[in-house]
Amino acid sequence: MKPYVMGIDFGSTTSKTVILDMDGGTVASAVSHKGSVSDEGAKASIAEALAIAGITQKQVIRAISTGYGRRMLEVSDKSYTEITCHARGAIAMVPEARMVIDIGGQDSKVIAIDALGLVSQFAMNDRCAAGTGKFLEALARAVGVPLEDMGPMALRAVEDITISSMCATFAETEVVALLAEGKSKTEVLGAVHAAIAARLVGLVSRVGKREPLVMTGGVAQNPAAVHHLEKALGLKLIIPQRPQIAGALGAALIALDEAREHAADAADEDDKVDASLDAARCGTPTCTAPQARVTEQVIHGPRPH
Amino acid sequence: MGNFFNAAEVPVVKANRLQSSSLNNRMVNDYWTEVFNAKAEGKLVCWYEGVAINPLMQAADIRWVHGEAWSALLAARNNEGPAQEAAEGRGYMKELCSYARTHIGCGVLAQNRGVEASGSSFSDALGAGLLGERVPAPDMFISAYPYCSTGQQWDEMLYRLFGKKIPIFNISVPWVWGNKKDAGYLTGAEFKEATAYMVRQLKECIKWIEQQTGKKYDYDKLSEIMAYTKKAGELRMEAIDMCAVKPAPASFFDWTTSLAPVNFVPGGPQIVSYFETVKAEIAERVRVGEGAIPNEKYRLFWDGIMNWNKIGWLANKFAGYNATMVAGRYTHMGFWHEHECIDVNDPLEGMAINYLVCPINLSAPLMIEEIIKLCKKFEIDGMVLHAARTCRAFSNPQYLIADAVQKRLGIPVAMIEGDMVDESFYKDELVNARLEAMMEAIEGKKRMIIPNAA
Repeated sequence: MKPYVMGIDFGSTTSKTVILDMDGGTVASAVSHKGSVSDEGAKASIAEALAIAGITQKQVIRAISTGYGRRMLEVSDKSYTEITCHARGAIAMVPEARMVIDIGGQDSKVIAIDALGLVSQFAMNDRCAAGTGKFLEALARAVGVPLEDMGPMALRAVEDITISSMCATFAETEVVALLAEGKSKTEVLGAVHAAIAARLVGLVSRVGKREPLVMTGGVAQNPAAVHHLEKALGLKLIIPQRPQIAGALGAALIALDEAREHAADAADEDDKVDASLDAARCGTPTCTAPQARVTEQVIHGPRPH
Repeated sequence: MGNFFNAAEVPVVKANRLQSSSLNNRMVNDYWTEVFNAKAEGKLVCWYEGVAINPLMQAADIRWVHGEAWSALLAARNNEGPAQEAAEGRGYMKELCSYARTHIGCGVLAQNRGVEASGSSFSDALGAGLLGERVPAPDMFISAYPYCSTGQQWDEMLYRLFGKKIPIFNISVPWVWGNKKDAGYLTGAEFKEATAYMVRQLKECIKWIEQQTGKKYDYDKLSEIMAYTKKAGELRMEAIDMCAVKPAPASFFDWTTSLAPVNFVPGGPQIVSYFETVKAEIAERVRVGEGAIPNEKYRLFWDGIMNWNKIGWLANKFAGYNATMVAGRYTHMGFWHEHECIDVNDPLEGMAINYLVCPINLSAPLMIEEIIKLCKKFEIDGMVLHAARTCRAFSNPQYLIADAVQKRLGIPVAMIEGDMVDESFYKDELVNARLEAMMEAIEGKKRMIIPNAA
């Protein structure tokens, strides 16, 4: 029975699962939208990923969870924060990345990555949910536009309207007032996305802007959010193919490291790396792990410059 | 898959707090009992905030109510609510310093008992009831607040609340600038001028105290009190220095519980004996290799003021992360920490210096240098910056501090939000995510193998 590892990002609005084979190849990924930290959502994304992979839960030898519900999952062997997992996933997707912006359901994070691919600094939104996925959801509702349509619509905005509130709830009030003044939905949505960008710029300054800058998380699929962030930061963001699964991928890669570590511990005391444990296939193309000895923990990552 | 859901588990381990701290509780209780009995014993009561000017009052046989200490006591005993509500009812909004709000609320509660706003008649306001109502009303105010703008107006607010009938003395504590050759930490012409200015004001304040008591000020008594204070400060700093070993025998949380004797408890043999006991306990822990937590894996620095609602909770929380909060700006950069400057025969200058270099009154360049020295000395792996929602004075320089320690020491930081005595600003799950991410970053660095390093 072939072994696999799993990463689950049990977020506040969606649940994501990634399954990797022992060579670090992605065999399945699934995203489930079931509302806030939902048991059902996590179950659904895990079941879907298992089905796509065509395997059973028993074949998953190690599972790592992340996200707000990370400690609630009994299927996972261990949990890590979204900071660590998103950074790891982003580096696997874009090995040269030095900074990651992730806008999640209820927090936004900016993570600086050092030359070894490790988290060196991070900042998260303080106090309130302004500038997060929830903020966008609430304002999509206020404007009366489906969440998936708001980005493309906002891109057509031409006016320079400001939503100043730092509070998601009061921003909703501002939106309603703008609509009452007769501003079009398109223009108001443009302002909503500009407000998100303004919040994120502050977090980027706190950590210190670095490039290449990768954006992960569901909001990276929103073209208006990306456009306003690029404009505010004065640079081009790199958006991986499936930005939403970055956290789950990072969790799965950590599961892979740990599974190999356990396998190595169990195998022998020899300090040579077994060929089957070749970490060059850990998902980080320039990983230097093969040079390390199995008796020591390896944090996989790109070669230092 | 078994049960799908697990209870949300945040690891909590009991911290190995210092046993001697219980002696501190007794001293604090004795002090407050004296305060509660002040009017019955015919003593004048002075309300003040900020730096420890209490020896000035003690030498004149005046009892004192330190606003923050009183608010912290109420919070530590979960009795802050009524005073905070009373202040809010009077229009003091939630974003105002929670210490001030709680203390002002006590003033409001005292008035609500229907007594006249003038000195001794407030003795009627004492007695059973809410703890917040038991603090005796003031006969005088001394305002000597460094840096914090609320602090400087807090006594003024109380003065007005009590009908402008109670005398007030204002001491202006100059800001300690850096970045210029003549403006250093304890050095330079500018610092000397600031010290001399403070001494002049302290002398004026003493003359004013004489007017209030109608008695000649007892400078010998002040010297005697300051001799005990200096010794207590010295023993405390020696004990703190002993925590540089691994595992650290005492934590920041132990030092916060040991602040009262160097902050507002009367200067006397008891404060010296307290720190002798603390130091002896620490020496014994060092001898047997006993740590402040069961399993020290990480060593952290706490920047920012204390969250008094959560001392025990936070101590156990970090113990759960196998992290000792070894040092902090609040505990290690104030409270008679510059005891060497005090000449017990002529203590005013040494007192002035300690007031000037309190943990919020230094410009960022000077403050950062002092923090970095501490981080190096205590071999810190990461820094937690507690941004107290209603204490901007403490959190103003925190981005600069975070940036400096990250760049110069290469250690990760986590910024968390909370408050001194208003629990509602603390959100545990948000704090957990930040702390755990920082621990993971520290772990990543610790376990990292640099290729070909050998």
